[in-house]
Amino acid sequence: MNALPEPSAPLAHRLSPWRIPWAIEANAPAAFAVSIAAAVAAFVVLSVLPPAIGTSVTFLLLVPSVLVGAALGGLWPGLVATAFGVIASIALGSRAPGIGGIVETGLFAALGVGIALVGDRLFRTDATARAFNETILQREAHLQSILDTVPDAMVVIDAKGIVQSFSAAASRLFRRAPADMIGRNVSCLMPAPYRDAHDGYIERYLKTGEKRVIGQGRIAVGERADGSTFPMELSVGEVRVHHSHYFTGFVRDLTERQATHARLQELQSELVHTSRITAMGELASALAHELNQPLSAITNYLRGAERLLEGPEPDVERLRDPVSKAAAQALRAGDVIRRLRDFVATGENERHVESLSKVIEESLALALVGVKSSDVRVQKERGYAADLVFADKVQIQQVLLNLIRNAFEAMAGAPRRELTISTHTGDNGEALVRVADTGPGIGPALAERLFEPFMTTKRTGMGVGLSICRTIIDAHGGRIWIEDTPGGGATFAFTIPAGVSDES
Amino acid sequence: MSPDWIVHIVDDDDAIRDSLAFMLESSGHRVRAYPSADHFLEQTDAPEHGWIVTDVRMPGKSGLDLLRTLRARGLTLPVILMTGHGDVPLAVEAMKAGAIDFLEKPFDAGRLLAALKTSRESLTLGDERAAEKVETARRIATLSGREMDVLEGLFAGHANKAIAFDLGISARTVEIYRANVMTKMKASSLSELVRMVVVSRT
Repeated sequence: MNALPEPSAPLAHRLSPWRIPWAIEANAPAAFAVSIAAAVAAFVVLSVLPPAIGTSVTFLLLVPSVLVGAALGGLWPGLVATAFGVIASIALGSRAPGIGGIVETGLFAALGVGIALVGDRLFRTDATARAFNETILQREAHLQSILDTVPDAMVVIDAKGIVQSFSAAASRLFRRAPADMIGRNVSCLMPAPYRDAHDGYIERYLKTGEKRVIGQGRIAVGERADGSTFPMELSVGEVRVHHSHYFTGFVRDLTERQATHARLQELQSELVHTSRITAMGELASALAHELNQPLSAITNYLRGAERLLEGPEPDVERLRDPVSKAAAQALRAGDVIRRLRDFVATGENERHVESLSKVIEESLALALVGVKSSDVRVQKERGYAADLVFADKVQIQQVLLNLIRNAFEAMAGAPRRELTISTHTGDNGEALVRVADTGPGIGPALAERLFEPFMTTKRTGMGVGLSICRTIIDAHGGRIWIEDTPGGGATFAFTIPAGVSDES
Repeated sequence: MSPDWIVHIVDDDDAIRDSLAFMLESSGHRVRAYPSADHFLEQTDAPEHGWIVTDVRMPGKSGLDLLRTLRARGLTLPVILMTGHGDVPLAVEAMKAGAIDFLEKPFDAGRLLAALKTSRESLTLGDERAAEKVETARRIATLSGREMDVLEGLFAGHANKAIAFDLGISARTVEIYRANVMTKMKASSLSELVRMVVVSRT
């Protein structure tokens, strides 16, 4: 359908200035005809006019035929028209002879050649422009066809964040018509914390040149027209045309691609890992069942043994087997508990130097899945300048995810719903993260017991989330505690060791 | 104990079967154990006497399925269900389906032995059910509105915390109401309470 446009060589060829245009153009015959017709018309008019009019008018009337010839057909028709004019003037010259006539004829001839050359240039520039235009249209159609078929959504914005182009896939993904989006600020495609900050991101980049998304890609959250959010992978490229800056964002919907994409599988496995805290509820129930089995068996063996001992002459041999079996069951119970511990701490050491802001960003993206952005205002404050931490990224995400979800739940009925995630530098240079909500807060009596296992205030909670958070933070050599949010609400704070970059 | 009465233990867990058999035997009962409901149904041709002590949660047929199968076959053997943690709603369902008791693991031997004894006596006493019905209704009538709410919550198989949440009161308060209910109903365990309510409503 859309053939590739001609390679650009012929264009350059056409453009070369003042090439001697010996070649006769394809539409020359028509140009010859028109220019000669114009000249003949002029000739006829002149022959009708009284001779007193003079030679200047003769040439004035003949000039258009040269112009027309040159403009329509290039050099040759222009020259032919000039020649015709000269002949005509000589023919008419019999009516007004004299030196003046010959000089004027010469001037006309020279002028004619000049006009032919200029006209030719004009003719060619016009042809080039038209060819250019056509190529551009062709390319645009071609580009459009690519954009329409590329599965990733594509959004082009300018340096002010104003949408310049919005692909068909983007339209499907964000459920917004391109016509509605073009001319609007791109920030309406993202939920609250990003929405307000996006202009600042661009500004900061333009000022500092520090790339945070450009060329790297990251996981972010998108918002559809109806306010629902979805996780997405965003890659941004930039284009500079003269002094204008454009950014092209490619957006991949992570919710839709789960089954197929390799990156997704990776993310999914992280998600599975991260959603363990939710799975803990089910696990705890299964675990209680598993623990109850050996405990029941122990009780039964020992109660049975007790009954035998109550008899007049207890058969000690009969007791040996159940007692040793009871001991074995006690060990079985210990195994169950060991399994729980292994489940919580993944065992393998997966600690690396990680970017704290990125860890927070991604946890937030995961936590925001399915949350209407209008429900909660999310703010981020970055006060930990070093940014690097030494941590198991997935485990810290687990902690953050749990704290963020808790905060969302706590604020469900609150009049003011603001989540603030801030980073700070701790007293010993470690990273300190605060997750602050504006919910009802936690009383001092509860605050002390909150990190204990099976302590919960929720109807369906198992009370394991925060105790796992503490296990993880402890394992990282950090601390986790609770504070009051100034103005009301609860703040969970934890520390993790600073990361030293790999090179040093 | 009468030698013709056998305790049929159905549990998929080897240790539970073995330990339960040991405990019951040392208490003078005759015991047979089966690793699944199907094993029991296949190997026993219509046992007329005896009890069934079965786990609720098992691979294949659950304890509840076993109970229903027996009732469908017209067998009225007393069935005692053993449940793990969090199976309370299921156990309540079992009581409504006709189980005589449910025991939450781990339970004390005395509880099971008492349940076996009572069920056997109540079978021989015949009309006791009707009398019990009247007595239960009388006791229920003494409950206050809030106590009644808590009783309904327990009967629906809800945990204290869930009941507290639904009624908008603290879990501690529910515990107090629950204790009152148990005292007024003269029930020594949740299962007994549920059984009483089931009987009074049939």
